[in-house]
Order: sequence, then C-alpha cells, then structure tokens
Amino acid sequence: MTALVEINDLRVGRQGSATPELDRFSLTLSAGETVLLLGETGCGKDAVLRLLAGSLEQDQEISGTIRFGENDPVQAATRPTNPLRVAYVPSAALHPLSPTAPVAQQLTRVIGHKLRCPQGAAREELRTALERLAGAPPIGMLDRFPGQLDNATLCWALLAAATAVTPEIVLCDHSFADISPLVARTLIGALLAEQQRLGFAVLYGGRIPQAVARLGARTIVLQRGCMIEEGEAARMMSGQTHSYTRSLFHALPQPDAGRLNRTSTRSEALLQVQGLMLQAEKKARNAISFELRRGASLALVGEDGSGRRGMARAIMGLDRRPGRILFDAVDLNLLSEAMTSRLRRRIAFVTSDDAALDPRMTLWDVIDEPLRVHLKLSRELTTGYREAALKRVGLASHDGRRLTVAALSAFDRRRLQIARAVVAAPLLVVVDEPLRGLDAVARATIRDLLAEFRLEQQAAFLVVTADFAVARALADDAMIFHEGRMIERGPVRELLRAPRESATRALIEAADFGPLSRAAEAV
Amino acid sequence: MSAIFAPSLPRPRRILAIAGWAGLGVVALAVTMSDFLAHAPANELHAGPMLAPPSAQFPFGTDLVGRDLLSETLHALSVTATAGLEAAVVAILAGGFLGYMSAHLPKPAGLVLHWAFAVFAAIPALLLAIVLIGLTSRGISALAAGLAAAPLAFVRAFDRASRAGGARHADYARATGVSASMLLRRDLAYEFRDMFLPIVARAFASVTIILSTLSFLGFGATPPHRDLGLMIGAAWPNYLEAWWTAGFPALTLVILILLARLAAGLDEGERP
Repeated sequence: MTALVEINDLRVGRQGSATPELDRFSLTLSAGETVLLLGETGCGKDAVLRLLAGSLEQDQEISGTIRFGENDPVQAATRPTNPLRVAYVPSAALHPLSPTAPVAQQLTRVIGHKLRCPQGAAREELRTALERLAGAPPIGMLDRFPGQLDNATLCWALLAAATAVTPEIVLCDHSFADISPLVARTLIGALLAEQQRLGFAVLYGGRIPQAVARLGARTIVLQRGCMIEEGEAARMMSGQTHSYTRSLFHALPQPDAGRLNRTSTRSEALLQVQGLMLQAEKKARNAISFELRRGASLALVGEDGSGRRGMARAIMGLDRRPGRILFDAVDLNLLSEAMTSRLRRRIAFVTSDDAALDPRMTLWDVIDEPLRVHLKLSRELTTGYREAALKRVGLASHDGRRLTVAALSAFDRRRLQIARAVVAAPLLVVVDEPLRGLDAVARATIRDLLAEFRLEQQAAFLVVTADFAVARALADDAMIFHEGRMIERGPVRELLRAPRESATRALIEAADFGPLSRAAEAV
Repeated sequence: MSAIFAPSLPRPRRILAIAGWAGLGVVALAVTMSDFLAHAPANELHAGPMLAPPSAQFPFGTDLVGRDLLSETLHALSVTATAGLEAAVVAILAGGFLGYMSAHLPKPAGLVLHWAFAVFAAIPALLLAIVLIGLTSRGISALAAGLAAAPLAFVRAFDRASRAGGARHADYARATGVSASMLLRRDLAYEFRDMFLPIVARAFASVTIILSTLSFLGFGATPPHRDLGLMIGAAWPNYLEAWWTAGFPALTLVILILLARLAAGLDEGERP
C-alpha cells in the first residue's frame, strides 16, 4: 500500500523550552488506514496533527523529515506545504465555530474555500455529505447558531464538512470524545463508512482508550512527546506492555468496579419522587414515580435530551416540575427557603459542569464552607477534615489557601467537588456525568474516588449519565430515559443481561467493548 | 501587597495599580501636611509680585493678586481631595452598595429600582449635579457630586450582583443547601476583597472630575476655600500670557485623577 505520509525522527519544540513537545517521532500513514494517537493532554499528538494541518506556530523549532506521497522526503524545518487534501475535525466541545454566524454558513465558507467553488455549490456539497452520513441531521438544522445546537449535532456537521471536500487525510482532534457513547459510536461508524467509500486515511488524536476499542485501529501511545508503545487495537486491548499504557487502559469500564454488598433494599426511603412530569404535555402515563433508599445507588441513563437531566435538575430544585419530590419524607416544595436549605445541606453534587464551583473561592474556602457554615465545626476540626479530604482526592500538595477555583484544571475541579462532598457527610450524592471531558488517567481516578466514596460512606447515589459503563461502575439500579420518558428500570445487572427495550440495548452496546476484548483474547 | 490592592488584575495592571496607590499615598501625605509644606497660608494676597513666572523663590509662580501658586495649589489640592473623598463615600453608599443590595431584593422590587436608577444614569452626571446644586445650594457640592455619580454606580453594581447571583455555581450552591443570605455574605466577602479598593479609587476619580468641573463653571467651591477647578477657572482671563496660573493647578488635577485611575486598575468606570 502506498504511504500517503511518512514522518521520520520528528522533533518539535519551543524556543527556550528544554522539553520538546514531540521527540523522535516516526509515522507512516497509508491511504485508507486509520491510526490512533493516544495520550493525555500535552503528550505531543497535537504537534503531529498541527504539522499535517500546516498550522505549527512560527516560534516552534522543528527537525526531522517528512514525505508526502511519491514526493522526495524534505526537512520538516522548511515547513513544507502539504500537497494532500487534508480535512480537520475538531472537538465540538472546544467551540471551534464562531458563535455569531449560523453553522451551515461557516462550514459552507470552509468547503467553498477548499473546493474553490461558489457558496451555493459548497452548500450543496455539505447537504449531500450530511445525507450520506447515516444518522446526521438535515442541513436545515444547521442554519442555526452554534449555541443553539447540541454537541452531537455539531459533531455531525463538522464530520460532514470534512467528508464533503473528499479528503485524502482526515485529522480528528479528539473529535467524538465528550459526547455520549451511543452518539460517539454512531459517528465513528459513519466516519469509517465514509473512509471505505472515499479511501482517505484517518489520523485520530484521542485522550481515552475507548477510542481504541471504537476505532479498532493501529494505536500509537505517546507520553510527554515520546512514543512508548505501538500496536494493533486487539493487541492493545488484550494486554499493554508499558505501565503508562496500562494506566491509560485502566480507564476502560471495569465490570465490577464499585460493586457493593449493600442491604439497601431493606433501608427506609430517602428520596421519593411521585408523579413527576418531564414533558410539557401532562399525560398520566408519562408521570414518573420511584424511590431511592438510604445507601442505595440509582443511575438515570439516557442520551442528551432524553429527560434524565431534567429529572436530576428537578430533584436538585434547579427546575420546578409538576409532581412531588420528598427528601427524607419532607416535600421540599412546601417548605420555607430556610428549611429547604437546611435539608438540602445533606445533598452533595459532583458534575462535569466546570462552572459548578464559584471561581473566586480558594480550595480551602470550598471545603470549609460546609464544615463551618453547615456543620458549625471549630477551626481545629475544620482544618483536620479539610486536610484529610484534600489528601484523599490528591489535592493536598496545592496551595489551597491562595489558589482559586478559577486557576484549577477540569480534573482538579472535579476532585475538589468530591472533596467538598466527602466533608459534607451527605445523605444523597448527585453525580452528573462525572467523567466527561477528562483524560484517561483522570477518568480512572475520578471513577475510583467515587467508588471509594460510595463504599466508605453510607450515602445514596443518584448517577446521571449517558454512559452505561458509568452506571455499571457506580449504581445498583438504573432507570432508562428515552425521548423525554422513562422506558425501563431495574437492577443494572438485569438490564445488562436482558434489556427489554431497543434503546436500552443500544445504550449498553455503545458502552460495551466486549467483542473487541474477546477478539483480543483470541489473538 | 499586591494581594491587598489588586488581587484580580493581570500582572502589568497590578503593578500600575500599586504605583497608583503609592502615588495616592503621597498625595494623602501632601494633603495632611499642606499647611506645613505651603510657603504661605491660603489666600494670602501679595506674597510676591503679580504674575511672576516660576522661579526659585516661587516654583509655580504667582497669580494676578500676587498669591504664591505653589502654596495655593497645595491648599486647593487639599480641598479637592477632601471633597472628592466625601463625594466618593456618598457615591459608593448611595450607588454601589445600594445597587448590590437591591439585586438581592425580590425580583420585581429590584427591577423597579434598577429601572429608576437607570433613568437617572442616562442623564449626564455633571448636569445632574448642577440641577441638585441649583435646587439647594453651592455648599453641598460634594454631596451633589456623589449623588450624581451614584446612579451609574448603582446600575453597575446591580448588574454585577445579578450576574453573580444568576451564575450556575450559585444555582448549584442553593441546591446543596447554601442559603440566599449565605450566598450574599459570600459574594460581599469576595467583592470586598477583590473590588472594594478599585471601586473607591474609581469613584474618587469620577467625582473629582465632577467636582472640579462644577467649580470651574462656578457651581462648586466658593472662596476662600478654593479647589483646583476654581483655581483653573479663575486663571482663564490671563492664561495666554501667564500659562502657569492655570497650568500647574491643571497638571496637579490631571496627576490626581491619573493616580486614582491607575489605582482602580485602569478601569474605565463611570464617566461623568
């Protein structure tokens, strides 16, 4: 097979920086081939993608050679123009489009520029590309602004714009990671189908090992700019040579992580939801009722827009919906604000929303607030609990007295939320997509921290997620939501074994890497 | 030190803010010691020849009636800075603080207050101050300048507090039992830590411009208590042949306002 691109001994660094972004990196990418660059943020995959996209910055020092197609190898330092048609699919979660213009208009402009055709023809290309992608939205939907569309729709739009230019190489920068597993699976399926049709090569930069399983591609693992392991997907899934690769793959769903021997079914009800309506039209058959017992764990599983988050927001008191919500046998909607606040102190929240903590607060403030204001503990006790909580989540080395939330990474914010939840000794912990937007190692850490938290404290857990793997790791029971309705409920193990609804089956399959794992075992 | 004066500013502006506060400290010292530093008491006529240019004996020169302009400028700086501080306190209490608290009232009441203050904020502050003085007396120029600057400060504080209260982290805090009063205390603590000193400096700069303009136009300070605006106004008939009579008071005023703006972190703030 002809190599489209051949990179040899590439080194990318910055002036004045002792550590290169990428060091002694070699890659051969053939037509129709898919290669996954796997590693955490800062591992060097961005440098490879930027090199091929021709967008390396001027102050970056480059060495090594690069060869495009049949051309002679040239020094990468000369920043050769890539003669191949390259399409770039960024992550929708990073807001790559301008918020002030409709999506279709922006993408049409890009396609028109690449194909050197008028805007009308470019829009037609985009429309055709969308129609070819099974599951993609119609072009009319893309006449809205980016802020009016969800990430899944934006992903479809960006993928269609990439395939519309009939590329020879598609560069995917963590494109389908921060969306639900079901949508990610569908998108990757569509990408691979288009690859079959057009024969382009795919270079996918990914942060989490789920990408290995979904793409089934040759994988190169990078750490701090160095290649540390390379192999086919099946081999990587079955066993990893390097300890860093093993730590990355620890983030894959662990079948029995967080499994508890609880007798929660005998305990009394902590949360009772009676006749809650999620949809605007009030139909009695759509009303949802359930109860969560003390120490139990329930997952609300569904795609974005399925109603699971609406349910969680209603329980948290962030939205008002018809129906009754009783916390500790008390209807929160009937109490005064002061009384409601007192009860709500026993609820903790861990979410993927980075704006969940006040950015002005220091680490100490975040932990101290529930201890001093809610529990009225002395300074000595507060200090002791705070230090223990920060140590437990791995933030003890930070300068918590001065460092504010605004300066923390997403991973640190997530850990800080868990530390705050731990010290508040809650009766109920609401966990909303706790792993979304994190690197592989961070995912594994957060998952393990939550599982430990659940194991050690007798709090009930309400897990809101689109990922059945998260539900399996953190919950005993699950309710499945689809198109604004609750369609199925039961123990997680039962649902995994025999789902009744097709939507449930799709969610389970999207989070299941069993076939590839089994293939790996065969290898 | 930077953690006290300008904790939330980027480093270059933080350095400028500290320089601004240091300069204001020097001004405060000069104001406190103005009687000692000045060669002559305020309004002492015929301290030297008429309209003498700057010299070793009279570094700022003299004016039409032979007053030593260095001494006069120091006394006027004292009057301007004192009145500016008074007016700034009025603007902060009647504007910023009231606006911040109003944002935490029940929504309809808060919106009515916001609307009312926004109407006054649409009127130029200088015009508002002149109307207030016209309705009362020239003796209340500091109060009038503070009240004239208050509506814009109210609207600004109200909007800031509304944004903070409507932020997602506030929703999450309420959902986990942080009461409204606790959230207000938290907001005030951070506002005080991050914003109080910049707000004081910004308000001081705004009201000093209003006060000086009022005096320049003849609505503000009255002799024998001359401020910088009045000095500049009094010098206009002969500033072409004796530039120092208006130049040095004007330069002092510019430096005072510039220092206050620097101390506020070069925040644009409310323009009069």
